[in-house]
Amino acid sequence: MRPRRARRRSALTPYLFLAPGLVLFAAFRVYPLLEGLWLSFTNARLGRAQQTFVGVANYSRLLDDTRFHASLLNTAYYTIASTLPILAVPLVLAIALNRGVAMRTFLRGAFFFPFTLSVVTVGLTWLWLLDPVIGPSTYYLRALGVPVRSWLADPATAMWGIILTSVWWVTGYYLVIYLAGLQDIPRELYEAAALDGAGGWRSFWGITLPLLRPVFLFVLVTHIIGSFQIFGQVFILTNGGPGDATRTVVQHLYETAFQNFFHFGSATAMAWVLFLVILAFSLVQFRLLRGHTQY
Amino acid sequence: MSPTSSRVGYAILTALMVALAVAWLLPVVWVVVTSLKLTENIVRVPPEWIPWPATLEHYGEVLFSSSRTARIGRAFLNSAVVSLGSVAIVLLTSAMAAYPLARMRFGGRGPVFGLLVGSLMIPNAVILVPQYVLVQRLGWLSTYQGLIVPEAAMTFAFGVFLLRQFFLTIPAELEDAARIDGAGPWQIFTRILLPLSQPVLSALAIFAFRSAWNDFLWPLIAVNKPDMFPLPVALALLRGAYAAESYGPIMAGAALSALPLLIVFLVANRRIVEGVRVSALKG
Repeated sequence: MRPRRARRRSALTPYLFLAPGLVLFAAFRVYPLLEGLWLSFTNARLGRAQQTFVGVANYSRLLDDTRFHASLLNTAYYTIASTLPILAVPLVLAIALNRGVAMRTFLRGAFFFPFTLSVVTVGLTWLWLLDPVIGPSTYYLRALGVPVRSWLADPATAMWGIILTSVWWVTGYYLVIYLAGLQDIPRELYEAAALDGAGGWRSFWGITLPLLRPVFLFVLVTHIIGSFQIFGQVFILTNGGPGDATRTVVQHLYETAFQNFFHFGSATAMAWVLFLVILAFSLVQFRLLRGHTQY
Repeated sequence: MSPTSSRVGYAILTALMVALAVAWLLPVVWVVVTSLKLTENIVRVPPEWIPWPATLEHYGEVLFSSSRTARIGRAFLNSAVVSLGSVAIVLLTSAMAAYPLARMRFGGRGPVFGLLVGSLMIPNAVILVPQYVLVQRLGWLSTYQGLIVPEAAMTFAFGVFLLRQFFLTIPAELEDAARIDGAGPWQIFTRILLPLSQPVLSALAIFAFRSAWNDFLWPLIAVNKPDMFPLPVALALLRGAYAAESYGPIMAGAALSALPLLIVFLVANRRIVEGVRVSALKG
């Protein structure tokens, strides 16, 4: 009797170890995900006890919601416009740091530090720096003869103020990832290339970039998932304005669900449309950058 | 290149990078400088980079005065409770879950791990509204548990992933030896695996702390009592409470909110970097 019980207990062991985490995960990740999908087909509202099924009404309403269209375009614009700086700025810094400069730990720390700040702190910092009247950037740019505008209040430049803020915030994170990727590239490859007479540029294009492909994929997918959900920077810097020039999907979702209409059905429908857009963009990245680099 | 010219080249590169790094930190310096200035000096143009005469009045005001808005002092406490609570839950649940996923054979191991890793791709925005509905139904709005538990659930899957990678590298002989000595799975977990995993556990703790400490959107909707606001929400509202030109208190609040992670960062710089590295490259 005894050995059998012991065996049954040991068969249960893995599940007992998993149980607390999986309960947490099921209740606060899986269940809300599915409930959200259901809510998007109902007329759910804040404070309404019972919801009724309304078919695709929430989704078809999104087809007429011009503000949703604007926010989707703004979000895509933000994501695409920030992609190049997010890919390039940390890469350039990482390559420079990887060249054996002195004080590497300090330098890496300096670039990484903004990433430890909350989006609110970052937003308030840049709000102050870009203040059109008394902000220091205004003063110095004017001193340099640059015509200064109220960047964040001008529809043509407001989004770029947000992009600048984001790049400053996350560069250090991607820098660390690039540095790790660069260190994984075998030194011998560069030495062999140098023996064959390849200069710095040749080995950059021929070795560094192709071998960093998995790192680019990670950076791009992380960037896309994050950028399509941008909220905090916009909330602090422009609150979606001027007009709708910087309103993003998550902000519109937040306003629909928690500020103006308390309409959970519409808001979850927006969330699922956003999810599908993110999925599509991520799959394209996987397709483009997939494949094994062999040497 | 000859050795001398390359040494000169490195010196120039270093100087360039140091200049760039200092420029990168100027916004932070500006925040601190502003927070220490007298109100009438803040608006002065050209910008003054030395806060003299210096004052701590803005810090005193945001920490203790309740006249205008949620007190930052209270928000600081709220953020500390929420972040530490979330760290504790994340460490416990993900270490326990990662152990069998790394070291035991059992039915469903592949699908469970696949589900957890797959969930890392799900945007939080999709979960926002239904999570609110759930937390409201539980009666957890404007409570610590209403912030702690969802934050922990958000980081759990990542924690499992990170710890499993590490547990896989621990040699099986250690476990076998302990088993021969009569140790059960729980003893192996607490006496062997956890002590050996201290570096990665602290990396995960820092990661979980950072994400709970800095999260903004979830507490913005899940809390509607000023006394329960965590720092990011209290700071965002501070901005509305003061006129645009009085950046002093706002910057004092911003500087205070950055303090804990600055300290962690100075102490554990390498560990944070290692955590980011491991998490990204195994993904």
